[in-house]
Amino acid sequence: MSECQHQWEMSNIHYGFVAFEKCYHCNTLKTFFSVEDFPVLGDEYREGDHFWNRVENAQSFQFDLRCSRCDKLVKMSEMMGLFQCTSCMPDCPVEILQKEYESERTWLMVAFGFLPEAVSAPIPLDKLDILSEYFNQRRDTSRSRIKIVPFNFIKDLARCKGVFLHDIGMLSREAPLEERKQLF
Amino acid sequence: MNVIELTEKLGLTPLSTFEDRPIKGVFVSDMVSDVMTGAKTGNLWLTIQTHKSIVSTANLADVAAVVITSNKVVPQETVELASKYNIAILACKMPTYELAVKLFSLGLGQ
Repeated sequence: MSECQHQWEMSNIHYGFVAFEKCYHCNTLKTFFSVEDFPVLGDEYREGDHFWNRVENAQSFQFDLRCSRCDKLVKMSEMMGLFQCTSCMPDCPVEILQKEYESERTWLMVAFGFLPEAVSAPIPLDKLDILSEYFNQRRDTSRSRIKIVPFNFIKDLARCKGVFLHDIGMLSREAPLEERKQLF
Repeated sequence: MNVIELTEKLGLTPLSTFEDRPIKGVFVSDMVSDVMTGAKTGNLWLTIQTHKSIVSTANLADVAAVVITSNKVVPQETVELASKYNIAILACKMPTYELAVKLFSLGLGQ
């Protein structure tokens, strides 16, 4: 067993998009990371029995974690994104766990893998523990901590109203101010 | 400088309930992925984004406060989520650049 007190940092950062495709035949959702320059919506193609249609692109990034002391690399390429519980279902295990952790000032985040693979093979817990450790090493843990759990803790994904940490739905239709003061 | 002191000095409007804490530097970005990779604990985050995902991002990055610039209207659901996680959301009438200049003159630019 390694005796290194790992100090994690992000490594191999790639910016791109999480693409969401839906089969309009069976409603299955598929997600993947794309590095296209100009991701398009509405792109359709057939794959076996599925008729995939690109329904969303969320600007995002992929990364690995590397220990700056021993150079150990942990690949995080199977992670689609993080998600925060908004307490929408009181009987959801994530909300129950969140309430337990609140007294320790620990906030729960939910990690999603790419669909549909992640349904049968969620991101391993040991990787999520390393990810939690990374975010806790970045923060002032005397104030609060982060704990990352897998998305299969969510009771009913279809009814869940949690918040994805993606650059999506961030556009504003708000008009700019009528008048802005000149700075110089 | 702490968040409450800065709020008073610059006439910012606190929208959420939060615990006061020291500010350590400033981070300017309108992309949550950028904040997740680049912001440091205790930073003051300047943005025009008001979507509730800024709260989750601020929580994950452990920023001291989020300042919504350019007099943007912040939805109530964003404010409520921020209060739940003790994240300071401060409203500011100034555009981002003007606020950044003022923060720099207060010694918070590093």
